[in-house]
Amino acid sequence: MSVILGLLVVLIAAGSAFAGPLDAPGATKALTCSACHGMNGLSVSNTMPILAGILPAYFKKAIEDYATGKRPSPEMEPYAKAVKVLGIDELAGYFAAQKKEPTLIRADAAAAARGKAAAAQCAVCHGPDGRGDPAKVIPDLRGQPPGYLRSQMALFKTDKRSPGDPALKAVKALMTTIPDPTLDDLAAYFSSVR
Amino acid sequence: MVTLTRRDFLRTSTTGLGLLAAGCAAPMTGDIAPKTGRRVVVIGGGWGGASAAKYLRLSDPSIDVVLLEPNENFVSCPFSNLVLSGVRTIGSITFDYRGLRRHGVNVMHREATAIEPDTKRVRIGEGYLQYDRLIVSPGVEFQWEQVEGLAQHKDTVLHAWKAGPQTVELARQLQSMPDGGVFVLTVPPVAYRCPPGPYERACMVAWYLKTRKPKSKLIVLDANQNVVSKTALFRGVWSKDYPNLDYRPSSKVVKVDPGVREVQTEIGDKVKYDVLNLIPPQRAGTIAVQADLVGADKRWCEVNHVTYESAKAKGVHVIGDATTGLPVPKSGNIANNMGKISAVAVAALLNGKEPPQLPPGNTCYSWVNDREAIAVVNSYRIDGGKVVQIEQKLTPGPSAQYGQHAVGWATSIWNDMLAFGRGD
Repeated sequence: MSVILGLLVVLIAAGSAFAGPLDAPGATKALTCSACHGMNGLSVSNTMPILAGILPAYFKKAIEDYATGKRPSPEMEPYAKAVKVLGIDELAGYFAAQKKEPTLIRADAAAAARGKAAAAQCAVCHGPDGRGDPAKVIPDLRGQPPGYLRSQMALFKTDKRSPGDPALKAVKALMTTIPDPTLDDLAAYFSSVR
Repeated sequence: MVTLTRRDFLRTSTTGLGLLAAGCAAPMTGDIAPKTGRRVVVIGGGWGGASAAKYLRLSDPSIDVVLLEPNENFVSCPFSNLVLSGVRTIGSITFDYRGLRRHGVNVMHREATAIEPDTKRVRIGEGYLQYDRLIVSPGVEFQWEQVEGLAQHKDTVLHAWKAGPQTVELARQLQSMPDGGVFVLTVPPVAYRCPPGPYERACMVAWYLKTRKPKSKLIVLDANQNVVSKTALFRGVWSKDYPNLDYRPSSKVVKVDPGVREVQTEIGDKVKYDVLNLIPPQRAGTIAVQADLVGADKRWCEVNHVTYESAKAKGVHVIGDATTGLPVPKSGNIANNMGKISAVAVAALLNGKEPPQLPPGNTCYSWVNDREAIAVVNSYRIDGGKVVQIEQKLTPGPSAQYGQHAVGWATSIWNDMLAFGRGD
């Protein structure tokens, strides 16, 4: 907010006629997304993921998988098809360029502490604090809403997210070994890492 | 949630600096706020208008944006059926306009009384405001005259179709109905605001009766031949969970007699009620009809599919439930999208640029009990200057997971319109 106000003051002072925050490439095409994912991809809800700062390759794989129904979602499948019409590269670039800020949803501190103790098994791929690995298109888990992280872990565990995807075989095998209460703790932990 | 702190007040006042000195001190006759730069006036602070106002400021911060909305608070129609069943409070779906003021929108709690496209003026009682472009988000008005006996009883026969005091009163009537009573809900003929809304309401009333007043019954009198939206999903829920729900299609209510607590359908059936919720037939909000923005049907407004400029008046854009001709439902999500797209288009036009071709999208959840929801999602593209549907998807059935998604959607889109959180 303060950034936008600051920008506003500068623009008014400079007498600029047309240079708003929506001038960034792809910004107006992302307007349909902002109803759920927030302005600039900064989701305010517990269930919708933060798209700001997303790896472009990860965004594009998600959109492709949603659009083909490989990653089943009645909510995202139609929108993924719309993203492909609008321009998947432009939207991937737009969200990747937005500054990520962590979720406003506060996780339970005790659950987060238990999650941290249980997170070693995730570090093999996601890194010690869940930062991910861009080279391998492994996503950054830090600061995502706990509800979103928890729901994705449940989808992995029950093989409902992109069933049969060879790239997800290891994570799904791991999830089946983790009890549900520990999944809650892991979601609390990764959402609270700053 | 709706109290203004001193800090907020100061922020609001300084944001308005150099724009308009807001409504309170302005004279009520003549030009009530003389225009100094380019100005867009937005009529109506609902789902469409609030979104348009915010996104106009984001599109071009040099544009002076005046939002005319008589109500001090925004009450969300989506989720208001949960207030009927006591699952939510009206306070949890009531918000103020501070967030828009922080964006530099001049929110005036005044009612626009007329539009004069030739002189580019909006009349507000004895005074007027000058505009460069106008965005009208008038919502719907009820066609009281379509139901005999309704016009003279319109304050006591409840619609609860604009969330607010009637929502609270209908909830009170439902709660005080004796067990064994009959609740009658009537559904108007298409087109009306929120196609699945009456059926979600039927679910919430049936759920409430089933859990609190098990000897009671809900009769749904539908003017349409079948459930208009999410048909198989609603009917599946009703046959499985709500034996207390008596659904009667092709039962258009044409008469109401509150004295004997009875409604009459077009085919002459008379139905007694203990509590009545009569949702009347609808048309575009009154100002759109008075300004002759409606088409030959005298009900709805034809618009350009890219800019939302009225087919009837140059420089006037119409958004939300009042529009017709696009293959989209009259939903809050669509109104929000139309608000944003029209804002970008208007900013482009004021700057001599070509408006981008942006299609809307629609995400629509309906609650079927206190924790489970269903959804329909539509995506669109622009083809030859027209909005065309790409795909419609429904959830396979109700689930608590979709209920959680519904809460996430509401949290996000309320914030997208009214800007009370971050990321705006």
